[in-house]
Amino acid sequence: MITQYIFYFLSFLAIMFGLMVVLSKNPIHSVLYLVLTFFAIAGHYVLLNAQFLAAVHIIVYAGAIMVLFLFVIMLLNLNKETEPHKNVWLKLSAAVAAGLLLVVMVGSLKNAEMIAATNTFDPSVGLIENLGKTLFGEFLLPFEVASLLLLGAMVGAVLLGKKSIK
Amino acid sequence: MKALILLSSLGVIALLAEIFSFKKLLYPLVIIGLITTFIFNAFDWGTDRIYFNMMRYDDFAVAFSSVLIGVSFLWFIMADGFFKEESNMTDYFALVIFSLAGAVIMVSYSNMAMLFLGIEILSIPMYVLAGSKKDDVLSNEAGFKYLIMGAFASGFLLFGIALIYGATGSFDIVEIAQTVAAGAASSIFYAGLLLMLVGMAFKVSAAPFHFWAPDVYQGAPTPVTAYMATIVKTAAFAAFLRLFYTCFQGSAATWTSIVVVMAGLTMLAGNITAVLQTSAKRMLAYSSVAHAGYMLLGLVALNQYSQGSILMYTLAYSVGSITSFGVLGYVAKAKGGDAVDSFNGLAKTNPFLAFVMTVALLSLAGIPPTAGFFAKYYIFTAAFQAGHAWLVLVAILASLIGVYYYFRIIIAMYFKHSNHEVTIEVSANHKLLFVITVLLTIALGLMPDFVIGLL
Repeated sequence: MITQYIFYFLSFLAIMFGLMVVLSKNPIHSVLYLVLTFFAIAGHYVLLNAQFLAAVHIIVYAGAIMVLFLFVIMLLNLNKETEPHKNVWLKLSAAVAAGLLLVVMVGSLKNAEMIAATNTFDPSVGLIENLGKTLFGEFLLPFEVASLLLLGAMVGAVLLGKKSIK
Repeated sequence: MKALILLSSLGVIALLAEIFSFKKLLYPLVIIGLITTFIFNAFDWGTDRIYFNMMRYDDFAVAFSSVLIGVSFLWFIMADGFFKEESNMTDYFALVIFSLAGAVIMVSYSNMAMLFLGIEILSIPMYVLAGSKKDDVLSNEAGFKYLIMGAFASGFLLFGIALIYGATGSFDIVEIAQTVAAGAASSIFYAGLLLMLVGMAFKVSAAPFHFWAPDVYQGAPTPVTAYMATIVKTAAFAAFLRLFYTCFQGSAATWTSIVVVMAGLTMLAGNITAVLQTSAKRMLAYSSVAHAGYMLLGLVALNQYSQGSILMYTLAYSVGSITSFGVLGYVAKAKGGDAVDSFNGLAKTNPFLAFVMTVALLSLAGIPPTAGFFAKYYIFTAAFQAGHAWLVLVAILASLIGVYYYFRIIIAMYFKHSNHEVTIEVSANHKLLFVITVLLTIALGLMPDFVIGLL
C-alpha cells in the first residue's frame, strides 16, 4: 500500500518537474528541474527493485550529463533576450503533432490491460550480480558490439575536434 | 557473422595504420579486406545460422550484406580522392568501415537490441563524416542537422522498442511476432509499432520525415553523399523490411494504410521537388527521397516477391547512384559548381563521362534495358499483386515526372553548349570503375533473374 502512495508521489514530482523543464524561461532553471526529474525517475527504479539502475541513473544522468548540459549552456551564454522567436504556425503545428502523439499514447494505454506478474518476487533481481550475468550471458553479443559504437563515436569526436594539419 | 568480425578487425587495423605508419598501404589493404569479406560472407549462403539468439545469418542477411560490401567496394574506388586529400585519412577509413559493420548488423539482426546498435553504429560515423569539411559552412550544417534529427529519430525508435518490450516481454523479433499472433500483446504494442515506424521512416528518408535529406545530402562532401545514398539507404531498407516482414507481418492491418500513404507522399514529394531544383546534387538528393518511396512499395506488398524485388532495387539504385555521384564529383570539381548547367556540353568535351552518366541516369529513371527498369518493374508487380493498384498508378506517374528531371541532365550534356569548355581528366581506376558500373547496370537489366531469384 505504502509503495503505491510513493509511486503516485514520485509520478507527481516527475510530471511536475518535467513540466517545469519546458515552462521555465531560464535555461539554467530548466536544467536544474531536469536533474530533479531524474531523481524522481530514479525513485521509480528503486520501487521497481532496480537499485543498481537507480544509482547509475543518478551518477550518469543527474551527475555527468547534466554538468555537461550546464557547461554548454554557460558557454553558449543563453538567456531570455537571445531566445529566437518561432513562427506561430510552427508552434501551432508542433503543438498539434505532439498532441496527436499524446492521444495515441493515452489511447493505447487506456486499452492496455494489467498483466499479472508471472514470476515470484526476487529481491536480488536488480543487483549487479544478476545484471552482469544477463549482460555477459544473454546479451553478450550486443555488449561486445557496443564497443564498436563507442570506438566509432570516440574516433569521430577526435576527428571533429582536432585541427587539420596542412 | 564472419563479415561482422572481418569488418570490425579491418576498422581497428585502419586505426593502427596511423601509429605503425603504414598509411600508404592502407588503401590497398582495405580493398583486399573488402574482397576477402565478400568471399567469406558468400560462404555463409544457405547456412542459416543463429548467433547468440541475436543475429540470424539467413539468405536474406547474406544477400543484403553481399550487396552492401560489393557496393562499398565500388564506393571505395570512387572515393579514393576523399582519402588522399586529408591528413586524417586513417580516421576516415575507420569510420567508414565501422559504419559498414553497423550496416551488416542491420541486415542480420534478430533482436531489437541489435537493431538499435546497428542503426547507431551506422549513423554516428555518418554524422561525423557529413560534417567532415570543417571549413565549409554547408558541411557543418549538414553534420549538425543530421545529428540532431538522427538523434531525435533514434529517440522515437527507442521509445517504440521500449513500448513493444512492455507489451510483449521480449526483444526477439520472432518471439514478439509469436506473442502478437497468440493475441497476448496489449494495445501498447501498436503505439510502439507506430513509433518504430516513424523512426525507421526517418532513417530511410520517407515523407513526411524526409526534410533533413536534401540539406544533408547537399552539404556533405560528395563521396559521403554517395555513401549515404547507397549503403545507408540499403541497410536501412533491409532493416525496415526484416522488421516488418518477420516481426510485424501479423499486425499488417494496422500499418499497411499508413505505409501506403507514406509511399505515395514520398514518391510525389521527392519527384515534384526534384523538378524544381537547379543544383544537380540537390536534385539527386530529392531523387534519392523519391527512390525511397518506390522501395516502400515492396514493403507495402509484403508478399513472396518483396524481398527479392527490394534486393534488386537497392542494387540497381546503388550502382546508378555511385556512378552519377562519381561523374557529378568530376564535373563539380572542373566547373566549380554542381548546378545542372555545369553539365552543358559535357558530351563534346568528354564523351566517355557523358555516356556513363547517361546510362546511370537512364537506370535511375527506369528506362529499359537498364537495371533500373527491371527493379521498378518487379517492385511494381509485387505491389500490384498485393492489391495496391492505385498506389502502383501513383508510382508510375511519379516515375514519369522522374524521367523529366533525369533527362534535363542528359539534354544539358548532349544538346547544350557551354561557354567555357574544360576537358576533364578521368583517372584510370575511375575509368575502370565506370566501365564496371555501366556493364553491371546493363547486365542486371538483361539478366535480372540472377538477383531476383536469390530471395
